[in-house]
Formats: sequence, structure tokens, C-alpha cells
Amino acid sequence: MTAIAPPIPPLALDTPGALSIRGLNKHYPIDGRRLPVLQHIDLQVQPGEFIAIVGASGCGKSTLLRLIAGLETDYEGQMQLDGKPIRGPSLDRGMVFQDHRLFPWKTVFDNIALALKHSRLDKAHVAARVNEHIALVGLQGFEHAYPHQLSGGMAQRAAIARALITQPKLLLLDEPFGALDALTRVRMQQELQRLWIQQRSTMIMVTHDVEEALYLGDRVIVLEPRPGRIRHVIEVGLAHPRERNAARLQSLRQEILGQLLSQAGH
Amino acid sequence: MSTFKKCCAGLRGLASPLLLVAAWEAASRQDASHAYAFASLASIGAGLRELSGSGELWLSALASLQRTCLGLLYGASLGTLLGAGMALSPLAARLVGPLFHSLRQVPILGLIPLLALWFGSGEGTKVLIVALAAFYPMALNAVEGFSQVDPRYREVGRLFGLGPWQHCWHVLLPSALPSLFNGLLHALAFAWVSSVGCELFLSTGVGLGNMMMNAEAGARMDIIVIGVLCIGLLGYAMNLLFSRLSQRLLRWRPLRR
Repeated sequence: MTAIAPPIPPLALDTPGALSIRGLNKHYPIDGRRLPVLQHIDLQVQPGEFIAIVGASGCGKSTLLRLIAGLETDYEGQMQLDGKPIRGPSLDRGMVFQDHRLFPWKTVFDNIALALKHSRLDKAHVAARVNEHIALVGLQGFEHAYPHQLSGGMAQRAAIARALITQPKLLLLDEPFGALDALTRVRMQQELQRLWIQQRSTMIMVTHDVEEALYLGDRVIVLEPRPGRIRHVIEVGLAHPRERNAARLQSLRQEILGQLLSQAGH
Repeated sequence: MSTFKKCCAGLRGLASPLLLVAAWEAASRQDASHAYAFASLASIGAGLRELSGSGELWLSALASLQRTCLGLLYGASLGTLLGAGMALSPLAARLVGPLFHSLRQVPILGLIPLLALWFGSGEGTKVLIVALAAFYPMALNAVEGFSQVDPRYREVGRLFGLGPWQHCWHVLLPSALPSLFNGLLHALAFAWVSSVGCELFLSTGVGLGNMMMNAEAGARMDIIVIGVLCIGLLGYAMNLLFSRLSQRLLRWRPLRR
């Protein structure tokens, strides 16, 4: 009907990867009492959005991620991914941990291929997919290396490839670069941004690093500890890829650091 | 200089056996009673030629080895299964644990009279004894291996939705493998010792132990010595084989670098 082909289409509204959290509460039983860890968490994540969660240690941010992953199933409230309630782990949610958690007894290739155990692909297709993802994270030549032969950054790349190969709607990242040195961390942040722009899956990242959160996140969620609550939601409002020392990021960084420090003063 | 040093290092392992042989030969040349207790190297050599010529040595060694392998196979597989069961299921641990831990206090050789009474003194009983000897160290190490599986790796298995068998094969078994090999090396040593040892108690049949018993009856000290050497060397060889195998299968571990 229209003669002009539209430019690269924006994400359609029905693109999968919409996470909806309503009234989420989580307790841990300690000495027979119920210790609240997360309280009244409400969060709507749009498909393809990058959410960064920051907060002091003990604010329950890792617990929140484990709940979304389905690793912990005991909670009150509602959590839905594309309208389906979250009841346990599923291949539509991938996860990357701070410790890469590659199986030490498997090579890089076999570690990544293990994620495809459930696919009905034949061997040749599995190999093609794995090699494609190894290339995606720049690990060509290390297919047959064991994890102990990799540097921290390389192991984390392999872990990201393993999480992405199932093409999850939602990728959860639990301080993925927390154990890396500063230089490697910056490089990995750029890599992750490139992957996110390419894949356009929804990503939720938990981090200690405010700069990292601002560099990557569309929205930054600041959690308050004991019990974990959402204190503030910050719209970064800058297009990707971003300039690391953009003035807006600097001012937001001051603001968030101020909030985190005022919590610590409590 | 360095190659000379390397040569010396390589030969160092031979120093103590050579010294022992020299002392032995010296003792055998003391007087007649010493010559009986310490058979001379020459008579041992003659005995070796006689035994290998008649085939008795090979048949005996083969019988003992075969029994060891068979008993090890049964004992180690059952031990692994029971160990895994006790480690992974609290119910199994509660049901079998106390019986297992009290029975393993009884030395295997102490069970031989009972087993002989029940099952006779044939080859089947001997295999059973070897299997029992291999079973306990294997089961103990399997319990340890399977109960120390890192929960972080289990979580990864859950994230990928692995089924119970996939979980066993890709997560549990490799996690337990270092302990399993440790158990296997112990089981092998116990199996070999009890394979020859039970021949001394149940004197029917063929084997290195039987060969030595007959030699004792015939006052053939040289054959006894040959038996001892054979048992030592074969045990050493099997141990070496299994260690190599475990190094190969555990090459993913960083500790050896």
C-alpha cells in the first residue's frame, strides 16, 4: 500500500520478553522466624529493554534475579513472562552468574552444546549453532579448551554464549563482570552492549557498579536494603551505543551514588 | 651435566631394589641354613625357567588376575551404585547406612570361614571375597564423591532442564569422578591382595597363592620368592595402568599443571 519501505522496524508490541512483576514478597526462614528479603516489588519490563539493578549488598538483588530465573519458587505475588506465570527454570530465561559456572570437565564447545540438550537439532546443526555462538563472543580457537585454561574474561564470554544459545526471551545477568579486572570489564560491557543491540532480547543485569548500570541500562533500578524494596527508578533516556563520559551519565551517577550512600548512613 | 643428572634421577628408583637383592644374595651365601631361608639368585633363576617352561607360572598368574578383575568389576560397580544411592538419597542412607558401616568393620579375611561354610571353597566363593574386598573402599569413596557435588553446578543443570539421567551423566558422575578413581585405586589394591590371600585359606584351585602353598609343602623356597615377586610386580603394573587411565580421564582438572 505505501510505496516507501519503512526503515528498520521498531520492536513490534507482541515481541516476546515482557516481564511483569506485581506485589512480589520473599521471605527466608531464619531461626523459625520469617526474615523479609524482598518487599512489594512491582516492575514492568518491556520486551527488548535493558534493566540494570543496583543496590548495597544484602538488598536482595541476587534473590530477585534467582526468583525470575525460577531457581527459587517460594514467593508471594505475581511474576509473569509474556503472560505466563513463572513456576520454575525454563529455557526461555537464560542466566549468567558472577562465577562463570562452566563445567570444568567439559570443553568450551561441550559446555555450550549442553544447553541444546533439549533441542531436536541433529549433531551437525548443534555444531553449527555452537560454533556460531563461539564466534559471536569471539572465542574462535578455544573450542576445545577446558575452563581452567581460560582467563576470567574468556570464561565469562563462554558463559554468555551458553546462555544465549537457547535464544532466551529474557537474559538474566548476576554481576557477570564483578570478578573481572577493570580493563576486561570495560571491554566486556562493550561486548554485551553489542550483543544486546544484535539480539534484542530483554536483559536484566544486577551489578555493584553504578557506571556499568548507567552505561548499559535503559532504566536503572535502585534497591534499598533490609528488606529489599525499589527505592528509585531512573530513566537513562540515551540511545545506544553510548558515550561512556556523557554529561547525563555523569550527573545520574552522582545522583545514584548519593542515594546509595544515604542508605548506608541509616 | 643435566642429562647425567636426569639419568641418575631415573635410576634412583632402582637403587633400593638393587641393594635389597645384593643383601639377599649375601645372606644366601652365609651358610646352609641361610641358603635355605634365602634361596640364591641362581636357584631362583632356575626355578623361574622351570615354572615358565611348564606353564605353571602363567596359569597361576592368569587365574589370580582373572579373579581379581572379575571381583573388582562386581565389587566396584555395586560399590559405586550403593555409594551413589547413599549420597543422593537420604532414605537409602538411613536404610543401608548402619548395616554398611558395621559390616565394613569386619576384616574380609575374617569372613572367609563363614563364606566357605555357606558357599564352599570353589572359585565362586573366591570371586565373592574379592568383590567384597573391592566393594567397601569403592562404596566409601562413591559416597564422598557424590555427596560433594557442587550445588552451583546442579543449578546450571536445572536451568537447562536436564532430565534425571542427563543430570547423572553430565553433572553428578563427572563431579564424583576424582573420588571414584581414588576408590578404584584402593579397591584394586584390596582386590589383588585378597585374591591371592584367599587362595591361602581356600587351598583348592589354581593361583599364585596356591603355587606358593604347594611350594611351601615341597620346601621350594625359590618358588615362594618367585610368587612374592610376581604378586608385587603385577600389583604394581595394575596400579600404574589405573593411575594412567585416571590421569587421562581427569585431564580437565587444573591441579596437575
